Amino acid sequence: MNWLNSGTDHQSTIAVLPDIAAAYDTLYQSLWTQPHLPAQTLELCRLRLAQLHRSTVELQRQEYPVQEGKREHLTHWDTDSRYSALERACLAFTEVYAMDTQAITDELAEAVKLHVGDAGLVLLVEALGILDGRTRLSLLWQLPASIHPPTAEGA
Amino acid sequence: MASRPRATNPQTSTGNMIADSALGLVPETLSAYMALNRKIWESGPLPPAQIEIARLRNARKVNCVFCKSVRYDIARADGLSEDKVAMIQDDFRDSALSQREKLIIAFTDQILIDPAGVSASFKAELLAEFKVEELVHLSLAVAHFSGFSRCAVSLGGMPDELPIMEIPLPQ
Repeated sequence: MNWLNSGTDHQSTIAVLPDIAAAYDTLYQSLWTQPHLPAQTLELCRLRLAQLHRSTVELQRQEYPVQEGKREHLTHWDTDSRYSALERACLAFTEVYAMDTQAITDELAEAVKLHVGDAGLVLLVEALGILDGRTRLSLLWQLPASIHPPTAEGA
Repeated sequence: MASRPRATNPQTSTGNMIADSALGLVPETLSAYMALNRKIWESGPLPPAQIEIARLRNARKVNCVFCKSVRYDIARADGLSEDKVAMIQDDFRDSALSQREKLIIAFTDQILIDPAGVSASFKAELLAEFKVEELVHLSLAVAHFSGFSRCAVSLGGMPDELPIMEIPLPQ
């Protein structure tokens, strides 16, 4: 339970506002089915945001399965050969986004666009905004960590 | 601040400022994005003038020039004057804003600067002033505005300054 209401997770916390909750859920789900950026790459960015924000709740959660080993070695994404060039470009962008959005450079953006084009970059920044916001709210509301965190197995 | 846009806008013009921006390159999320924006302004318990205070505070903290220049017409119609907007500064605690308005700014700052660090005394202040539904509404609004502002900053092409622009809620 959080300090606001009886919600135990994001969905149950915002359920007190059903219209907004439904709209939020529709947008959130659309991130994982769009064709511009692989959902696995987005999940790695979500997890990296959670690491940088030190959000245990968001780090424990699994939104989309990732290849075995990638979740565990995420802090070493820049040197570990498990991560593709696209994943590295997106994770590099995500790190700067999390620390100081104003510090994002043209080079970071171009590195993402090299793999997924303008639409992929737009999707990435749109998604990072939503995922960053969700992570901040998990921390703000002090949502409890899951007693059944996801296993490391992935697709 | 990047002066060159990092993504091109869609080739076709719809007359909708969000659909015609780079966000229009991702139609799979665009309608849901705009629908959530409308719901935040129209379907929550907080009135537009109070939502606008949170939006403008976020705009200033994230330093999104575009977001700082915008004024939603529904917030002005709800009573948010430029005199009041001028008080949404770092010395807001000493301003003539109401206690409720000051708490909205402080809550926005908490989410943007230290979301994990909300103190017991601040929680008590918030719960004494706001209903739970209002605090959930404000939380979601700030998270949404923060994401939008950071998106705009990330995509570049932002001028150093823009005049104040009154706009309707994008439909």
